[in-house]
Amino acid sequence: MAPTVPRPPRRVTLLRRRRARSGPDHNSLIGHHKLTPYLLALPAVFMVLVLLAFPAMYASWGSLFDTETIGGEPQFVGLQHYIDLFTDPDFLWSINRTAVFVGGCLVIGMSLATVFAFALNKAIGGLRFLRGLTILPYVVSGVAAAVMFRLLFNEDFGWVSRLLALFGIENVGWFINPTLAMFAVVVAQVWTDLPLAILLILGGLQTVDPTLLDAADVDGASGWTRAWKISLPLVTPQLVLATIWFSYSTMTALGVVLAMTGGGPLGATRTLPVILYETAFRNFETHPALAIVVVVLVLNALLTLIYFMMGRRFDIGDS
Amino acid sequence: MAVETPTNRDRVEAPVMKRPKTLVYYLKKIWVWVPLACLAIWTIGPVLITLSISLKTRGAVFADPGLIPADPTVDAYRDVITRPGFREAFLNSVIVGFGTALLTLLIAVPAAYAFARYRFRGRHLLLLFTFLPRLIPGLGLMVPLYRIAVAVGALDNRLTLIVVFTGTILPLAVWLLVGFIQQIPRDIEEAGNVDGTSFLQRIRYIVLPLAVPALFTIGVLAFREAWNEFDLVLALTRSTAARTLPYELFLITTGTGLANNPGQAAFAILTLLPFVFVYLRIEKYIVSGLTSGSSK
Repeated sequence: MAPTVPRPPRRVTLLRRRRARSGPDHNSLIGHHKLTPYLLALPAVFMVLVLLAFPAMYASWGSLFDTETIGGEPQFVGLQHYIDLFTDPDFLWSINRTAVFVGGCLVIGMSLATVFAFALNKAIGGLRFLRGLTILPYVVSGVAAAVMFRLLFNEDFGWVSRLLALFGIENVGWFINPTLAMFAVVVAQVWTDLPLAILLILGGLQTVDPTLLDAADVDGASGWTRAWKISLPLVTPQLVLATIWFSYSTMTALGVVLAMTGGGPLGATRTLPVILYETAFRNFETHPALAIVVVVLVLNALLTLIYFMMGRRFDIGDS
Repeated sequence: MAVETPTNRDRVEAPVMKRPKTLVYYLKKIWVWVPLACLAIWTIGPVLITLSISLKTRGAVFADPGLIPADPTVDAYRDVITRPGFREAFLNSVIVGFGTALLTLLIAVPAAYAFARYRFRGRHLLLLFTFLPRLIPGLGLMVPLYRIAVAVGALDNRLTLIVVFTGTILPLAVWLLVGFIQQIPRDIEEAGNVDGTSFLQRIRYIVLPLAVPALFTIGVLAFREAWNEFDLVLALTRSTAARTLPYELFLITTGTGLANNPGQAAFAILTLLPFVFVYLRIEKYIVSGLTSGSSK
């Protein structure tokens, strides 16, 4: 790596474009071997391929096989596992539960996130510390959050139950009643996922052109009108983005649900991740479990597709 | 990225501040105060109540409903810490956490440098780092990685966890770092080049010192990922040899017998411990990390 004099920028012509692209002249960091960037990027690319891409392919391939006995020779069964899955009432029930869970999280989570983001946008001066507070759930693991909310919803001493007792509603069995259990799990999951959604929407609000708001103010629009007619439409991309991220996160959420209810009561919170866990690690039916993995991956891919379509529609891309 | 976006705060507030602060002013402001108070209670309430329960005895949890314990005690913490399995899990979490942070930085920095500074033919692979983590969530990795770990005999091993967590956090780490390195002016490096520094010297003395805040952020993000990850620990560990804190906490909550409420509360609080020290410093970096193009 002897120091060399910088070469003058090469003219890129049609004939020389191939050489120009692979050469270092765009970078003007001279004295490198052509292979340097490849060597630098190789470990990361290798790891991501081996640890993310390969397992996904492994799951797709493995889901087409089955073993008679544990540890036996796998036999090709084609799409049998998928046919079994979609005729299995337990699995269909878990799809239903996942839809309710994700839907509940989206409704509660996005409403809270929007309100909180708008309020945070107005938090000035000494109140700005609230922004820092907002990310607190981000450092709490799903299991710890589940423990916290189990204490909160406890029938005997939980604060939620005591609050309801003030209104004369007593002895609410949060983890006995299927609907209430689902609600409690949704609240806990929303709590862990909310910081991201709030910060996303807040980020959008901070880029709203202040002259628009000023103009509306001069024209006599109230704060509500300005928020509803100007700010909200302008942060639509962030709202869409946050909705999709919320769906991602809640659709694959295992820790909170498993630690809070374990799928009960009466299977009310047996979402897709729970049934995947049970199939693979309680019943040790690996190959059917791989089929469920593929279902999860497909659902996730669909969300990603929506994400990129929305990205193009609203020009949010990957920022 | 970390770049401050222009805010409308001052311009919007200016006309409001000129008005006299009458009762009406404060009543109008209620639409900001009430949601902000709700946000504060919503965020910190569950943690405070858990902290409060962790400082009570088992009986006092039922008898003493107050938020501030009438007779605070650290018995629950002593119970948790002396409990078999906790120390191993804590040690595992620390080792896996720092190991993941270190390995992530070791692999992400060179890759990010290559993607940020060179125009080479594999450059479009950067897209891989944005696509794959979205397509393949941790949940989808549980079963396949378990099967692979069994096949290669890597089950129940701290190193396996470090490598796997590094793989899941790498895309975000590289993505963040690329943006950061691109912000470091190329001219500085070129000046160094003219002065005769070698490639490694430029990385060591020019790029890395300037990238310290980004490296710190990514280290913390990787540490958090490893510290809080549950699904993959559930799949890849079998015993206290590699089991980390979330799994250990999960086990005591699902244990049979009378629930030890203060014990569980104390355990949950203890899992937050490492973040107490870095929370204020990481806050603004975390925000940029959270909102910059990853599903993590």
